[in-house]
Amino acid sequence: MTPPRPYTPRTARKFIGAYRPRIDAMEKASGKVQFVDDITLKSRFPGMLYAKVMRSPYAHARIKSIDASLAEKLPGVKAVLTCKDPEVSSLKPTSAGWTDGVDTVSYERMMWRHFRDRRVLGDHACWATDEVGAVVAAETEQIAEEALKLIKVEWEVLPFVLDPLEAMKPGAPVIHPEISPNNILPKDPVGGADIFVDKGDVDIGFAGSEVVVEATSVHHNATQASLDNWCCLVDWKEDKLTVMSNSYEADQSRMHISQMLNLPINKVRVISSYVGGQFGRGDTGDQPFFLFTALLSRKSGRPVKFRHSRRESFHDSRQPAIYTGKIGARKDGTIISMYFKGIGNSGAYADHTMFAMKFAPTEITEVALAYIPNVRMETYGVYTNKLPACMMRGVGNSQFNLIFGHVVDMLAEKLKMDPVDLALKNFGHEWGGLPDKSLTAVLCEGAKRIGWKEKRHKPGKGPVHDRTKKRGVGFSFHPAWHAEWQEARRGEIRIRITVNPDCSVVLDAPTVETGTGSNTCNVLGCAEALGFLGITTDDIVWPHTVDTETSLKDCVQTDSAVSYLQSEVVARAALEVKQRLLEKASKLMKAAPEALDIAGGRVFRKAAPAKGLTVKDVFMKGDMLPVVVEMGRAPNSERTGVPYIANFAEVEVDTATGRVQVLKLVVLNDCGTVMYASGAEAQQIGGQVIGVGEALTEEIIYDQATGVPLNFNWIDYKIPTMADMPEIDPALLEVWRGAGEYGACGIGEGTVTCTPRAVLNAIYNAIGVRIDDIPVKPEKVLKALGKA
Amino acid sequence: MPGKSEKRTRGTKSSPIIIKINGKAHEFELGRDLEPETTLSFLLREKLGYTGLKVACDEGACGACTVLMDGKAVLSCMKLAVEAHGHEIQTIEGLPKDDPVIKAFADQCEPGYGTALQCGFCTPGFVMAAKGLLNENPKPSPAEIKEGLSGNICRCGCYSGIARAVLHASETTEGGKK
Repeated sequence: MTPPRPYTPRTARKFIGAYRPRIDAMEKASGKVQFVDDITLKSRFPGMLYAKVMRSPYAHARIKSIDASLAEKLPGVKAVLTCKDPEVSSLKPTSAGWTDGVDTVSYERMMWRHFRDRRVLGDHACWATDEVGAVVAAETEQIAEEALKLIKVEWEVLPFVLDPLEAMKPGAPVIHPEISPNNILPKDPVGGADIFVDKGDVDIGFAGSEVVVEATSVHHNATQASLDNWCCLVDWKEDKLTVMSNSYEADQSRMHISQMLNLPINKVRVISSYVGGQFGRGDTGDQPFFLFTALLSRKSGRPVKFRHSRRESFHDSRQPAIYTGKIGARKDGTIISMYFKGIGNSGAYADHTMFAMKFAPTEITEVALAYIPNVRMETYGVYTNKLPACMMRGVGNSQFNLIFGHVVDMLAEKLKMDPVDLALKNFGHEWGGLPDKSLTAVLCEGAKRIGWKEKRHKPGKGPVHDRTKKRGVGFSFHPAWHAEWQEARRGEIRIRITVNPDCSVVLDAPTVETGTGSNTCNVLGCAEALGFLGITTDDIVWPHTVDTETSLKDCVQTDSAVSYLQSEVVARAALEVKQRLLEKASKLMKAAPEALDIAGGRVFRKAAPAKGLTVKDVFMKGDMLPVVVEMGRAPNSERTGVPYIANFAEVEVDTATGRVQVLKLVVLNDCGTVMYASGAEAQQIGGQVIGVGEALTEEIIYDQATGVPLNFNWIDYKIPTMADMPEIDPALLEVWRGAGEYGACGIGEGTVTCTPRAVLNAIYNAIGVRIDDIPVKPEKVLKALGKA
Repeated sequence: MPGKSEKRTRGTKSSPIIIKINGKAHEFELGRDLEPETTLSFLLREKLGYTGLKVACDEGACGACTVLMDGKAVLSCMKLAVEAHGHEIQTIEGLPKDDPVIKAFADQCEPGYGTALQCGFCTPGFVMAAKGLLNENPKPSPAEIKEGLSGNICRCGCYSGIARAVLHASETTEGGKK
């Protein structure tokens, strides 16, 4: 074990950047935190019913007829709705990709409005276990399940397709003919043309290249696997609908429900509190189950709870993608041409497919590929009868990194260059020169910490350990994508600071607490900004419940950016707090506000600092009214570029069994400013569970004969446990700087992005054979070694 | 064929199911308070409101529902409530406020290891699993901690911080016991 190396802040601050516990650490460690499934126990809502939805047993089918009369008669059943009921069938077609979470949007402005392929409780099942046909509300979950079995359904079983390459061929089963005649998602104004990046001329670039490499990489179906299964309780009484849920986007949930059910916005109340892990699941909560649960509540006149079981919570996945990449360079390592083609397996519904396929590659083009003269990118999203895919700790970034880091590593080998040198020679960003300072910092620090020079050897030519085991090192890097200017679409972010007469503070900076640590960042930022009050973090209360009826609009937990976005507003609001306190004091102290100052909780005359009043006295001797400052501020759109992230891996491959063991990971993030060091390290370390899982074990397996998923459980879908995880060395850096008081950058999503490719490059270094698709299970290694 | 008298099994009025939960004896009647198939996790959460334990998989794969039975860590989703008859169950609600394991989980911020929790959903299960481990092995090595807690899943991935917290709990006290 290497001893930990704490980061050194670029600017010393009192609170921001601290190594310290989370603000909710004790509440969570003692199990007192209440998640929505806890809050909505039947003992707390005596009249509550449970909903269960019918799931398609077929990968692709239509309901020809449905008869729920027996189910309705089962004792304990209080409401049944089927796809034939007008209140269901009249609902507008929708998408679970209304927004990427950055902004709240209406039905008309939903991001993927051209792919409204979802029906709320429709009659068309597009993947095995799709939520279709009927939904039941009953006194217990068991009765609801019994009732579903009593519903007679005549299915028209349709041919299905799982492989996107097969789905693109003429004659393949067509899944959403109203949107695409050939399963390929049509061009749309949001995602752009199929060839969505075309800089210079790649053909001329390749013709003029002295060295060209070409490769493929395949990213399979991994799932977010939040421990907290989807759960909501909907209570629709008269004209008012209240939803408690573990959706991470309260304002957007309210808009979604209001627009789909034609209710005034103020008649929909959404309450979200602690969420047990998010990781991008369900996109932005525009899930049809909120709506059918609401309709059951209206029909039964009772609060209705709908929750997924673990098996049902296999509800979304990371966008599986097949990428091919080609890269051409001069012998000196100057890259002159790059071409990438992606085929995204959308699964049953389009959702954010084209966001994953186009957003991340476009962003890397404007950043990392700024100095490459010829770049072309082409992509296709394809419907299949698999689990739909959406965001998962990033959107398309991991998938793109898997091919990007692949061709870079291959080119370096062919050029006989160190890939670190190749990367620094070519990749920077349009706002800076080459070599890029941030990229240099993450790669050099990573190389040092993993022991790059000492451990790296010719592919497959390292020493053999324990007779059959070979070791190797590899890395991958990516530009981050959460600088303040990239968050401009959020519009105004509003917060409210209340300073009470005793100088205790309430910070209303609403965001759904999903575990990211932004709540602690906010309190640190508030203590920092209100430093003149002489308070500590213990003097600040941060309300953890977002309630659309009483809270300000929530700043959505997406892009890992809440860690600094609200603190940037707090920093400005604190100046206004100070001004208001000075005005209060000026009456008591008979001096102009300009003649006064506040420090350490004391108001004093600038001319005579020794004399003065405590801020508490100013309140207590004055009007006793709290100082309340509410402020909104749009993110600073100054184009400051972005920092880099990287991941270095050391692996050991058992050539006899094919088992890959990751020995060590170094996770590097240039943060701009570290807002909360322990939280940032927890994100860096924590992301590796998803990263290592996706690299080695996590994959949804389908029965090829029926299209039925086989491992919707955590025994066969293998998530790494403590015993599976290597030593992880988190490295926080502050090299790049963004705009604003802190100039920080979100890091959480990006901690996952480079892991699979770093592991794959390390495997290649160990055994000298490349494996192109993840997860790298032992059979793939043995096959690559010619042993199976 | 069993006679009429043999139907008077456990859980009827004459022989209720008795489970001591967090120090207090509870009596349950089969058929009225619980069914033969009722799991311990369902009884504790849904009937009695002990919501510290979580049911995330309901099939013994994640450890979020871990409680102590006679001081040993058990998965309450894999135990029938009737199996707890005559035993002592401890949930996280039954631990004292200043329990050293809880405190170690809350306090962990040692540089290089992150925090021991993020979303906090798996945490009560990990705390109880750690209690069970320390009851059996008061001074576990890092390898023994890894092995001992490998039945629990933390999707936020705080394994480094958790291992550190358990190590600290074992160092500061006699195996996490006060």
